[in-house]
Amino acid sequence: MMQKLPKYRSQMRIYVDIMRVIQRENNRAKPTRILYGANLSHNRLLKYLEELKTVGVIQEDVEEDDRLYRLTQKGIEFLNEFRAVERFAGAFGFVI
Amino acid sequence: MVGPRWFVGFDSLMEFVAFIIALAIAYQAFKGYRITKQRTILYLHFGFALLSAGLLIDSLAGFLGVLSRALRGTIVLTLVGYTIYFLAQVLAYGMLIFAYVSQTRTLSTTSTSLRLAPLFGFMALQAMPGPAIKLLGPLVEYHPVSEIVLLFLVFYITVQTGLNYSATKDKNALLVFLGFLLLALSHLLFILTPLGAVLFVIGHMLQLFGFVSLLAMLLRVTGTK
Repeated sequence: MMQKLPKYRSQMRIYVDIMRVIQRENNRAKPTRILYGANLSHNRLLKYLEELKTVGVIQEDVEEDDRLYRLTQKGIEFLNEFRAVERFAGAFGFVI
Repeated sequence: MVGPRWFVGFDSLMEFVAFIIALAIAYQAFKGYRITKQRTILYLHFGFALLSAGLLIDSLAGFLGVLSRALRGTIVLTLVGYTIYFLAQVLAYGMLIFAYVSQTRTLSTTSTSLRLAPLFGFMALQAMPGPAIKLLGPLVEYHPVSEIVLLFLVFYITVQTGLNYSATKDKNALLVFLGFLLLALSHLLFILTPLGAVLFVIGHMLQLFGFVSLLAMLLRVTGTK
């Protein structure tokens, strides 16, 4: 019905999906986990991760040759705000 | 107005409270648009912004009308206020319907008949003037045509929000559905006001409760992290 998701994800939805995967992984996610969790190709994932780093919502750390991604404080606040907007829009039947 | 004498001023006060609630919803929708850049959320913002502007103008005109009456003035102010409020409501609800229709077009899940519902409303209304309006007789005193137009528009939104609730069973969706249902009922009672002045009072109370229901949703949505 009204809440059925659109066929294609918006760019914003992809950003949020990536950030949510990182949050789900206890704020310490490897690229492969994000790749599967957010359902993205490798090239697109790298592109989106770079964009998210540029705006400062995630940060990249290197631990024992592993690249790990974490949400910054700004990223956590953004996700909280997005959740409120998502609930608000959903209450009226609009899908973001 | 057509309400009881003791109610004069209370209706404006209720509309002023509704104005604040509509403004808060418009602000939240604007915040949502800033984050998502989604057009449907922008329409939601404009819809509630228009609604709040109309409510403010009508409530201020009502207050001024009370004052001018006390000074043996005319009630022109209240009529002008109502007319602006009516036009603002038509645009606001039209904007919300447009948001639903444009989303439906994207998702293509709702039946064609539902998408065309507002059009049926206007067609029914076009067929109505003349004998039907004459039959209504005393109803003409309280803008029956404008209230019928608004009833059709709000009814469409009520159906959409009701469908959303039945699909999601979410409490926030229920509050929005309840809000628009009460607004639709208030317009119905405004049409029937000539049958009894108390209906005007109940209509205004239902309108306020409708906005309070929307406020409850807003508080729930923004309060939970």
